[in-house]
Amino acid sequence: MKLISKNLLIFSGILFFLTVVFRYFLSSMLQNHLFNEAWMLSIIYGIIVFISGWIFGKKDKWHLPLYDIGFRFHLATYLICNSLAEIWHIAGFQSQYEKIKVVHITAIVWGIFLLIHFILYLLTRKNAIEGIKKTEIFE
Amino acid sequence: MNNKNELLSRLLLAWEETYKKGQLTLWIFLALKDGKKYVEEIKNFIEDKSNHTMTCEIQSLYRNLRKFQHLGIVDFETGEGKKGPDRKYYFLTELGVELLNKFIERNINIFFNNQIKNLIINKKV
Repeated sequence: MKLISKNLLIFSGILFFLTVVFRYFLSSMLQNHLFNEAWMLSIIYGIIVFISGWIFGKKDKWHLPLYDIGFRFHLATYLICNSLAEIWHIAGFQSQYEKIKVVHITAIVWGIFLLIHFILYLLTRKNAIEGIKKTEIFE
Repeated sequence: MNNKNELLSRLLLAWEETYKKGQLTLWIFLALKDGKKYVEEIKNFIEDKSNHTMTCEIQSLYRNLRKFQHLGIVDFETGEGKKGPDRKYYFLTELGVELLNKFIERNINIFFNNQIKNLIINKKV
């Protein structure tokens, strides 16, 4: 199945940029004890990422309706968010309140959900021919 | 009488709406069987040959052609446009031709059976 598409690449680029900006301000706020503001920032970041995924996911489906039940976008989000969090700690950019252990636990728990998503995709892909849902080929 | 005509008209439109939904693919394939075409030519072919009972948006045609290309049913080659950039000339691949022939054999040819043909042509029941 075609894995990478133009819309997925654009979404990944936006997510990468947003995550770097989010990490920078999150660490700065925590370091300066601005805990309420850090919560607000996290919520805003989450909403913007969700909306971006929604928009580019829709565009991607319109361009070529590959049957993946959103798995490719989920995988890209997982890889970018977790690898940037890991790099952030390795580079020593984190605040004193951010622990590497939390990053690892997040990656494991999220990874389990990602795996479930992948299994669901494998179980339902019989509804597709060459990656396109049967009912959408000749609609 | 007016009520009957109104009902007839509404029923006909509802039937046609459902019937036409699955027709676009067949018309696209017929347009390409006629020869290589760029998107505007496919659109014109479909609208002209269907006596304008079928209409289609360019964007919708592009979307369908992308799907068919992904599946290996359709492919394109670039050719010079009259004005502006090169055009994509679409054509049916071997798989596409075979698919269309099988579809026609199984679903269209039945209408050429004499008994069915007579039922279609003869308006009396």
